[in-house]
Amino acid sequence: MLTTVAAGRVFDYNYCIGMYGMSGQGFWSPQDFALADNNMVYVISRGAEELGQRISRVTLDHQFLGQFGAFGRGDGQFIWPRAITLDDEGNVYASDDFLNRVSAFDPEGTFIRSWGDAGDGKGELNGPCGIAFDAEGNMLVVDSQNHRVQRFTHKGKHLSSFGKHGDGDGEFNLPWGLCLDDAGNVYVADWKNNRVQKFDSDGNFLLKFEAAPRSGVGDLHGPTGVAVDSEGDVYVTDWGNHRLQVYAPDGRFITSLVGDAQQPSPWTQTYIDANPDIVKARRRVDLEPEWRFRRPVSVRVDAHDRIFVLEANRHRIQVYDKVKDYEEHPLNL
Amino acid sequence: MANREDIALMGHLMRRAGFGASHDELNDRISRGYEATVEDLLNPERFEPVDDDILYRYMPGYEGALGPPLNQAEWVYRMINTERPLEEKMALFWHQLFATGNSKVDNPPELTQQIAMFRRAGLGNFREILVELAQNPAMIFWLDNNGNHMGAINENWGRELLELFSMGVGNYSEDDIKEASRAFTGWTIGPKIPRNPLGRFYWSFEYRPEDHDDGEKTFLGHTGNFDGQDIIDIVVNQPATARFLARHMYNFFVADEPQVPSWNITPPNDPDAIDQLVAAYDESDGNITAMLRVLFNSDFFKEAQFSRVKSPAELVVSTAKLAGNFNGPRPGFNSLAFECAYQGQELLNPPSVESWHTGGEWIDGGALVRRVNFAAGLLGDVSLPGVKSIVANLRSQGSLSPDDMVDACLEMVGPLEVGDITRAELLDEARDGGELRWDTEADAAESEKRVGVMLALIAASRDFQFA
Repeated sequence: MLTTVAAGRVFDYNYCIGMYGMSGQGFWSPQDFALADNNMVYVISRGAEELGQRISRVTLDHQFLGQFGAFGRGDGQFIWPRAITLDDEGNVYASDDFLNRVSAFDPEGTFIRSWGDAGDGKGELNGPCGIAFDAEGNMLVVDSQNHRVQRFTHKGKHLSSFGKHGDGDGEFNLPWGLCLDDAGNVYVADWKNNRVQKFDSDGNFLLKFEAAPRSGVGDLHGPTGVAVDSEGDVYVTDWGNHRLQVYAPDGRFITSLVGDAQQPSPWTQTYIDANPDIVKARRRVDLEPEWRFRRPVSVRVDAHDRIFVLEANRHRIQVYDKVKDYEEHPLNL
Repeated sequence: MANREDIALMGHLMRRAGFGASHDELNDRISRGYEATVEDLLNPERFEPVDDDILYRYMPGYEGALGPPLNQAEWVYRMINTERPLEEKMALFWHQLFATGNSKVDNPPELTQQIAMFRRAGLGNFREILVELAQNPAMIFWLDNNGNHMGAINENWGRELLELFSMGVGNYSEDDIKEASRAFTGWTIGPKIPRNPLGRFYWSFEYRPEDHDDGEKTFLGHTGNFDGQDIIDIVVNQPATARFLARHMYNFFVADEPQVPSWNITPPNDPDAIDQLVAAYDESDGNITAMLRVLFNSDFFKEAQFSRVKSPAELVVSTAKLAGNFNGPRPGFNSLAFECAYQGQELLNPPSVESWHTGGEWIDGGALVRRVNFAAGLLGDVSLPGVKSIVANLRSQGSLSPDDMVDACLEMVGPLEVGDITRAELLDEARDGGELRWDTEADAAESEKRVGVMLALIAASRDFQFA
């Protein structure tokens, strides 16, 4: 259904952006994205083996503006690009969980610097994934294979860390993405423990989001990304179950969104229209599998509480509105 | 401490029932015993499968692979990293027997699904495997059964089912092919969402009763209103089927046989071994695990060390396993998939439904150069973890004479038996450097280098080409 009503919230499907592309217009196994000013979005593609690694610059109204980065170990290049975020000046930061480093670019994609040393010591990285800036302009990095979160200056000087390997409160097993709320609390997608944990800004454990007892409806299988809206609701990309889980601020499960892209993106529609055999083939099949999320991997919420969900295996972003002034239609229509 | 014969036999078992094992793994398995290890191999559910979540987290492009070689690379990843070696080796066995290729199917994820089916069902009952194969979308498209209609049969699947997949030439008539094909009408695939620009979608098997010829058929002397399952029931009860399958198993696991197309005129190299496998088939109602249990515990298997030429997949995977640099997710599995192809075995894309010719036909001038360069390149690289482990083992033995150094290196890579000419060449190299010593840092660095050279020479030998 295009509109989901649950626990006083209304989530209304709006549109989608993107399609598969080995290079240029399109994404390839995208892993993360960042919403910038002026309607712009940076999308980081992982590609496969030695092809497709890049950061794409696109707009929310489907303009492809360009791309930067490529496969390699050199400055501005990637082997396993994973996550992306922006600083207050619009500079772009991207993690690489094979090269164990964070690379910085200016808004146009010009390489600035990279930092990160492989290892498990203080300030060293093993498989960096999610990255995000705090209110002081320092960067939190999910140091995944060291099962912790580390805080650095934007130039890579280590400041602090929290977490260790395990499944207790405050412990992690291969964590993936993270985000901060307006109060500076930190939410970490604890991937292999199938939960999201919430910490205060000092890294003290506060709360966890996981399966509702005995209900199963809130189950997570490999959560990857997390975002918080202006009302404190928490959105989690449930990668292994191919859905978006929505939780109330207190951890109560609200609902699931499963993807509703019934109308292809303009890029996709252009591709379809250019191929008569594809048009013909599509008229003979149930297209519902195409609408649904496949490996949702990252979620972001903008200032208007629009919810953006990135799908690694459908190479697109689906956009939902959280409608605040929704009026119920007559149910006896 | 295991004796040399025990290690040699366990190494033989692991090369054939899997993709080789390190010296440490062989010793661990010997402590469990040979028969117990055979049971471990035959019961893969005792061990964890490859963690798909980990695989697709780090290599997301493998899932629903958009094109080759990503699907081939995924399979190589599984061959190297599985803790269920026989399960994966059986998938390769069935792939070589039921050869299905991307050159026509042009749908890598469907081929991956077919391999997953072999992995799931490959140690079960032959009848069930054939039924799954007949309903496998990649196979249906590969052999045109989607074009096999009531009143307008396409014989491709029916013919290959009998000729290449179960009985072999000379055991059925052209009429049997036509009647079998009639029975499989209506077994087809449903349309799917076309590929791109949103990735790949999957076919599904579809039975269309309105397109199925439900009339009376006469097949191999039986008459009735047969459908495909009835045909398979008759096929699996033919003596020729048991012999054909037994000979394939012998060729894959025991010793090289003549090429398949000559089997109807060339008797097996070891008829008694084939008889034993046929008996196991008959007694177990076609159970693959039962046949393999007889095979791996037989004298004919134990006495067949180094009597098969390694297939490219076996050579590439076993060498990469030994070198230890492809453990877990990492970039580079594409290169291993390409290497199999360069050596003459492009996985998931056999040259035809007849599959690859095996044994000595794996080797030609170009393929041999690729095999030697690949294996020597990996085993000669002392920076790789598996090679480092071999160096550490030799170092733990203290100073070694040139003869002992050669023996120790051969022990670590198999153990490998070599002929007199190879041994003489290896000894010449070892004697040039004198005693292998580890007393000083300079000695250790030099010795490490010499072990790398020795391992590369062994990997380049004629003897290393055999499993």
